[in-house]
Amino acid sequence: MKRFLRSLLAKYMLIIFMALILLQLTYFMLALVNIVGMNLAGHPPLDEKFSEEEVEQEWHEAASNMKNVSKEEMSEHFSKWSEKYTEASMFWIDENGKLILEKNVEEALPQEWTSTFAVEFIKERYGGDPFTVIAFVGTNKEQGFIVTEMPRSAFNPPIVDIYDKYGSLLTIGVVVIIFLFIVVSFLFFRGIRKRLLQLQEAMELRDTDGLPIEVNIMKKDEIGQLENTFNQMVTELRDSKRREKEEEQLRRELIANLSHDLRTPLTKIRAQSDSLKQEDLSTDGKNALQAIDSSIYNTARLIDNLMSYTLLSASKYTFEPKKIDIIRFVRESLATWYPSFEEANFGIDVNLAPINDAKWVVDPLWFGRILDNLFQNVLRHAKSGNYISVKTKTTEHYDVIIISDRGAGMNHPSYEKGIGIGLSIVDMMVKEMNLEWDIDSNEKGTTIRIKRSR
Amino acid sequence: MVRVLYVEDDGEIGEWITKDLTDRGYEVIWLPSGNKIDSYISMVDIVILDIMLPGLDGFSLGRRIKKEKEELPILMLSARTAVEDKIEGLDFAEDYLTKPFHPDELAARIEVLLRRFQKRNDILDIRHLRVYSKDMRIVHKQTNEEILLTGKQYHLFFYFIRHLNQILTKEQLYESVWGETFLEGDKTLMVHIRYLREKIELNPAKPTIIETIRGIGYRVKL
Repeated sequence: MKRFLRSLLAKYMLIIFMALILLQLTYFMLALVNIVGMNLAGHPPLDEKFSEEEVEQEWHEAASNMKNVSKEEMSEHFSKWSEKYTEASMFWIDENGKLILEKNVEEALPQEWTSTFAVEFIKERYGGDPFTVIAFVGTNKEQGFIVTEMPRSAFNPPIVDIYDKYGSLLTIGVVVIIFLFIVVSFLFFRGIRKRLLQLQEAMELRDTDGLPIEVNIMKKDEIGQLENTFNQMVTELRDSKRREKEEEQLRRELIANLSHDLRTPLTKIRAQSDSLKQEDLSTDGKNALQAIDSSIYNTARLIDNLMSYTLLSASKYTFEPKKIDIIRFVRESLATWYPSFEEANFGIDVNLAPINDAKWVVDPLWFGRILDNLFQNVLRHAKSGNYISVKTKTTEHYDVIIISDRGAGMNHPSYEKGIGIGLSIVDMMVKEMNLEWDIDSNEKGTTIRIKRSR
Repeated sequence: MVRVLYVEDDGEIGEWITKDLTDRGYEVIWLPSGNKIDSYISMVDIVILDIMLPGLDGFSLGRRIKKEKEELPILMLSARTAVEDKIEGLDFAEDYLTKPFHPDELAARIEVLLRRFQKRNDILDIRHLRVYSKDMRIVHKQTNEEILLTGKQYHLFFYFIRHLNQILTKEQLYESVWGETFLEGDKTLMVHIRYLREKIELNPAKPTIIETIRGIGYRVKL
């Protein structure tokens, strides 16, 4: 019940009831004003008014009760009648059509009544003003008839009077109330509309985490309930997002720990092989150690790639694109790789010419990873060519970074199988950053182009 | 003698690196956990930290050290390779090396850090030059004459000395020495390098000290 009273429905019903009650109250008030006013102006009070039926019945009764009535008796009856009904006039026509008695009659009545005149009189008065009652005297109609006339105004019921006097006032009152009702309804619905619009706006707001923000509940009506439900949804959404984040964190942590736990024993192998190096070893022994070192290195790289690949393919790899100067970025990456190529006796040809638009929107860590993977491949698998070239160029449709080597190509059996995953990572990252790439590989070398459409 | 504080919980790796670094002439204090680290902070020149440690992890230890002694270089040495870990580590540490690693690389990185933090007051011999990095003096060994440079040339030269063996791009050099964003096509750096070479190189046309790495930048190798 309490909830119902707080509802919008209850409020609107209250408005309607108020309007109806006010309307009725106006009638009542007007009637009251009328009565008080009439009393003040000396009008007869309401209860002294009488109805036409009463008058007619009384007149007929009185007439039929008369027997062999004399002129004096009739005169007495007339006097009594005119005492009771002050506005009444009356006269008596006998059985021979002679006017015998008249009282308060203002019009000129004929002394002799012909049947034609009588019919004409009846016809004229029927339903007209004054109100006229014609009754035969006695039960046998042997003493003619008596007639009484009263102006219709004497009978008017109070309501008709009020309409005459206060009709326009009443109409204005009703119009005002209807107008008020419309205004109140309008305000009521405008209030609702405003709150709904505010709610909509509040629902469209987003927090820093991209989730909607809870709204303040002002009232406990239907809209309040809607807001409450919305808040519940926000909470649920937040919970699920938090759970998702936790799971993601867990997954990341798991992969990171796994990688850590794999790398630690590799480091131990390295430690042991390194201490073996201190021993006096044969050439074969030294070669074996070299092979162990190389395997350790490759395994570590594979673990790393596997980890990145797992995160990437599950779209859990942190991606934060930024606008960076790509030429500068490539140059800095080359600066760190240069010593490795130098050590491996590579011919290094760098020509980072200005391109159409060097500001690329990429995740620097991702792009660094792409370059690392590609350079590493060249270093590992294109040794026979002893050459790397890194160039930038602007073509008709693209800005391009070109990395080429003179190795035996990717189809050569010396290419380890694990390279696939490294290139898959490059592929995923390049596509994710809205770039394109292609590989040309034959036995004379490999060329990789990373392209950004102009 | 340079003192290295090394925190590593793995016995085999700890033993190996302690031995390797000792052989290279460092004094190594190896702790299996960070529990007693406070008493050593004031007496060492560089800290090498593992991340996964019993008790406080490497990140917390590193931050604590930096809070106490800002100028003590820290090198993180961990088998954790995730980008997030590296970012967190490099937030306070100067370097981050992942396991497995080559001991030569570790030693090289330690040297870079020591020079950057001027823990090495050693006199550097670079070809015909003798460089007193702490006093910021350069002496021509053959003539025993001190080479005097202008302000910017000093800046430039000792920036190279602090980043020995590293290739520095022209952007990096310009922005570190001039403190302004490098604009493509700006010749200021080239001009300054030329003047610097005229002062320090035996034959500026064939420089042996400041090497040009074509298309990338410059390098001063030890």
